[in-house]
Amino acid sequence: MILWRAGLRTILRHPWQTVLAVIGVALGVGVVTAVDLANESATRAFRIAAETVAGRATHQVVGGPTGLSDELYRTFRVIHGMRRNAPVVEGYVQVVGRAGTTLRLIGIDPFAEPPIRAFSSQFSSGKVLEALMAVPNSGMLLQQTAGRLGLAEGETFSVEVQGRVQQLSLAGFLETGDELTRLGLDAVLVTDLATAQELLAMEGRLSRIDFVIPEGAAGAQTVAKIHALLPPGAALVPAGSRAGALDQMTRAFRLNLTALSLLALVVGMFLIYNTTVFSVVRRRRLIGMLRALGVTRREIFTLICAEAFLIGLVGTGAGLLFGLFLGEELTRLVTRTISDLYFVLEVRSVPLLPLTLIKGVLLGVGATLAAAFPPALEATGAPPRAVLSRSIIEARRRKNVPLAALAGLLSMVAGGGLLLVEAGGINGSFAGLFAIIIGYALLIPGAIVLLSHVFRPVLAALLGVLGKMAARGVVVSLSRTGVATAALVVAVSATIGVGIMVDSFRQTVDRWLESWLRADIYVTTVGTGTGRNKPPLDPALVERLTRVEGAEEFSLTRRVSIESAGGPTDLFAMEMPRSTFVGYRFKEGTPEEAWASFASGQSVIVSEPYSFRHRLHRGDRVTLRTVRGEREFPVSGVFYDYGSDAGVISISRASYLRYWDDPSIDGMGFYARQGVTSAGLAAQIREIGGGSRLSVISNRELRHASMAVFERTFAITGVLRLLTMVVAFVGILSALMAMQVERARELAVLRAIGLTPRQAWGLICGETALIGTIAGLLSIPLGILQAFVLIHVVNRRSFGWTMELAIDPALLLQAVVLSLAAALLAGVYPALAIARTSPALALKEEE
Amino acid sequence: MSYRWVIIMVLTGVVLLAALLLLPKRKAAEQGRVVSVSEALGGTPDTGFARAAAPRRFTFPADHGPHPGFRTEWWYFTGNLNTVQGQRFGYQLTFFRVALTPEPIARGSRWGANEVFMAHFAVTDLAGKRFHYAERFSRAALGLASAGGSPLAVRLEDWSASETAAEPWSMQLVARDGDLAVDFQLRSIKAVVLNGEGGLSRKGSEPGNASYYYSLPRMETSGTIRIGRETFNVSGLSWLDREWSTSALEADQEGWDWFALQLDDGRDLMFYRLRRSDGSAGPFSSGTLVAVDGTSRHLAREAVQLTINDWWTSPASGCRYPSRWRLRVPAEGLDLEIVPRLADQELRASVRYWEGAVTVKGIPAGSTGGSGYVEMTGYRAAEKKGSDRRP
Repeated sequence: MILWRAGLRTILRHPWQTVLAVIGVALGVGVVTAVDLANESATRAFRIAAETVAGRATHQVVGGPTGLSDELYRTFRVIHGMRRNAPVVEGYVQVVGRAGTTLRLIGIDPFAEPPIRAFSSQFSSGKVLEALMAVPNSGMLLQQTAGRLGLAEGETFSVEVQGRVQQLSLAGFLETGDELTRLGLDAVLVTDLATAQELLAMEGRLSRIDFVIPEGAAGAQTVAKIHALLPPGAALVPAGSRAGALDQMTRAFRLNLTALSLLALVVGMFLIYNTTVFSVVRRRRLIGMLRALGVTRREIFTLICAEAFLIGLVGTGAGLLFGLFLGEELTRLVTRTISDLYFVLEVRSVPLLPLTLIKGVLLGVGATLAAAFPPALEATGAPPRAVLSRSIIEARRRKNVPLAALAGLLSMVAGGGLLLVEAGGINGSFAGLFAIIIGYALLIPGAIVLLSHVFRPVLAALLGVLGKMAARGVVVSLSRTGVATAALVVAVSATIGVGIMVDSFRQTVDRWLESWLRADIYVTTVGTGTGRNKPPLDPALVERLTRVEGAEEFSLTRRVSIESAGGPTDLFAMEMPRSTFVGYRFKEGTPEEAWASFASGQSVIVSEPYSFRHRLHRGDRVTLRTVRGEREFPVSGVFYDYGSDAGVISISRASYLRYWDDPSIDGMGFYARQGVTSAGLAAQIREIGGGSRLSVISNRELRHASMAVFERTFAITGVLRLLTMVVAFVGILSALMAMQVERARELAVLRAIGLTPRQAWGLICGETALIGTIAGLLSIPLGILQAFVLIHVVNRRSFGWTMELAIDPALLLQAVVLSLAAALLAGVYPALAIARTSPALALKEEE
Repeated sequence: MSYRWVIIMVLTGVVLLAALLLLPKRKAAEQGRVVSVSEALGGTPDTGFARAAAPRRFTFPADHGPHPGFRTEWWYFTGNLNTVQGQRFGYQLTFFRVALTPEPIARGSRWGANEVFMAHFAVTDLAGKRFHYAERFSRAALGLASAGGSPLAVRLEDWSASETAAEPWSMQLVARDGDLAVDFQLRSIKAVVLNGEGGLSRKGSEPGNASYYYSLPRMETSGTIRIGRETFNVSGLSWLDREWSTSALEADQEGWDWFALQLDDGRDLMFYRLRRSDGSAGPFSSGTLVAVDGTSRHLAREAVQLTINDWWTSPASGCRYPSRWRLRVPAEGLDLEIVPRLADQELRASVRYWEGAVTVKGIPAGSTGGSGYVEMTGYRAAEKKGSDRRP
């Protein structure tokens, strides 16, 4: 049909705009898909690994910080004849020479495994089982994992476990039937329980005992029997709850990424909307003529929508490919962050999940169609005569400005209201944030009219009549400039908002580290980089180190995690000078007040996120499972801590010793005597340490390392911010370029009546620069508003952290420069084109 | 719609589809045959282990205990019991010791072990026509499984055989699985019988392909069997076979049929037939006949005539087992018909075999009969070739 050909020709005749629109959609879809892919891959990898390793276990018996005694297992098995259970010793090892390859070490008893797990009770031959049990330090990997590490059966490889390098031999391969199990075992090293105990220095201890307990009366009986046999420090927890709790821990983090990716899509949607509006506005005459000739509204409507659909489709396709590519990289970043902040996670494959694909397609095509809908309606809704006349549209647009502003205000108020509702949670806060952004975007046409008036004298002073014309031009063609500017503002403000948030966070963490790290030198075991819980230091060494000459005072710390049905709780046992304690920053209570009861072991202090997550405040009591059974501890203060968003409970070492019987120390801090330099003290400590593998680092180095972890954590945010900036840049470019190209005829008229090419340059660049400046300025308040919401609502609800808003003027300037640069760049091509072609030719040009 | 439009739509579709198809797909790794934890035991090189090469001096009670230098060893209890009301039961409780290395390995973890125990427990409930069996494995560590001590105790988790008196040698057997539990007191009423050449039982032509093998053929047994909520007080006779070795079946040997019969006239007969691929008895098949006074006589293969009169095919495994025999020892005037008390006494454990209680009828009718246990290994399903392995 001729109509379709006309549509197609429009697309082909304006390749730049089409390409930019496609890029816009592609970037939006790509970012959303990539983030979704990264999130899903990480969650999936974690879930599959958790499920595979848990096997058919329904319950787990877990112990205190040092696990369970293996006597407990014997009691279950031999004395009480309980059968469907299996002991597990678990930990992490790092493959030496393969940076970042962490394997989850699972020590099992192959004979107890069959009711629980298949992969650890099936062997390719008797030799494998025999080697596994009878040859110390032998283990099994998946064939694919071994292949990746370049290992053949029987070969040895080095792993680092708790700071020690050990040689392991590959007894054989894990035998698994299905793909899913292989996925779950990709980063798993299975050894005999004896080997695992020896590697992890856990002789006599078990990490947990897995149980398969049937439902119903028989199961209840078993549960009661187990409860009766448990020592005070142990607990029976449902197998899924632990994995669920860990999964839950990262939920806020993942949700935040999704929201950031949606921001990119919103910007992308503006872009599409803008492109479609242009393609309609530009063809008003054509549409009007077609309508006058008898083409029905439906046909026009279908045509416009089909065009948008095509752009959406191509853009989505490209976006999905881009998303896949980007997803790999983002998955790496997400995995690293989760490993840094939460638990060790290895994601090997980034599978293309159907749901992600469907989401991407729906978002891309759906958003394109949704964006094309209003202009399509507008083009078909008006009578043919009105469509032909552009001035009617512009006039109506301007009349609508107050209306849009009102709607915008309402939307912002509604968004603000949503933010105030605490019960809305993270989703509610994001909804509120988006409402505010949309509302603000609706205010923009009004703001343009106002600001153009303001800038007119400035432009007039700079460029004379042309400047005035440029300023007027922006207002006169509001139907085009309005949307373009709004898109620009949303995009630029997003980069400002996220930028301020990260800066504020960084500054807050930096200040916190200053108050938190007071000692001059810190000593820990040389540990694997990822594990939060460091292996204990040699007690004899600790004893020797406490007598180091150059130290005035020292602190002793131990960080352990206590398993419970609600997931692990981090417990931080510390013994330190009062002066350090009073330097801590408290949110509730004061360190001075808390000191006496804390130091004597009568109370604990909890970190801000812990207080937030468990609704626990000063004066409340927290129940902890100790080796003497459950004990209640009063909370004497809430302190700021940005080390863990799950939160941590701090307890005095005296109290920890009393209730957990664990005298080990995993960290020491030394305060230099007057006249002793930090380097001198470190040298003394190293000398005492002798050959032991100790990590001796100065305060400065530790702070540096902590900040490095922080930067790593926010690397993904940085990537998303950068992508949003790219989308914004492309958006500005395409919007403004389209606008100027479309004005070719008007400019030709001006040229015909005497406008020199130079003046044409001035006019075009003046207009785009004005839009760029206006957009840059308008994006600043919205950006700050976003940062405010992100910091005080989203982050608080997600992680429970208090942050101080820190605005870096350079960041704001950067935003204005970004939008101005894009705007000016957008003027180059149309200006070049208009300057080169002769006015007569341009005048003849059909619309 | 213009054709160009169609072409573009189609092209877009093709590009998207191609992109999806071209994405790297993980190739499923080829999977070989996988054996379960239990099957995986055995079949490993026996280098470094002691072998039963020559006759030895047996000393008791020491030899009731384990012989760590050998690869395999078992304590094999079977018996026929009945209640006062005449309700009949058969039972089997077997402990296998399998060494992974000839010497223990010094390790930091108490879980380190060079020996693994396997145990089989079966009860044939003839009134209920039910055959129940269970299998367990554990390592010889941490008290999960062990053999030794004085008095001797052999145990795997909560299954155990423990010495209760030295003279006459007595044992207590305890085992339970699910709703089944047994607790027996055994007292030997005949002395130890050394099978083969003074306890050296040759299984093949290769030197060292032999085992040390003795029996306590007649142990008076009393105790309880609990099935669900019912407890039966039972008494009868048990048979203990003790064997240790580091040997394997030879190439042409397919399996064996083993008979342990306690005759009403006070004599006991043990005979095993090492079966060749063609079904005939191999040259190393032999037996022992124990007189009432405990004196024993070695029976060579030629001294015993064994014919199979009927067959039974296991519906569960498809394996075809002999199910009725005629056993003659002409020199001793023995002519016996042996019939399983229950057809299905097949243990479909990690090692598949038939081990069951049998009735012994004298021929002609009225002459000496008895009861006993028969073990048959190495039988295969008719169509598919299994991979049975002997314990």
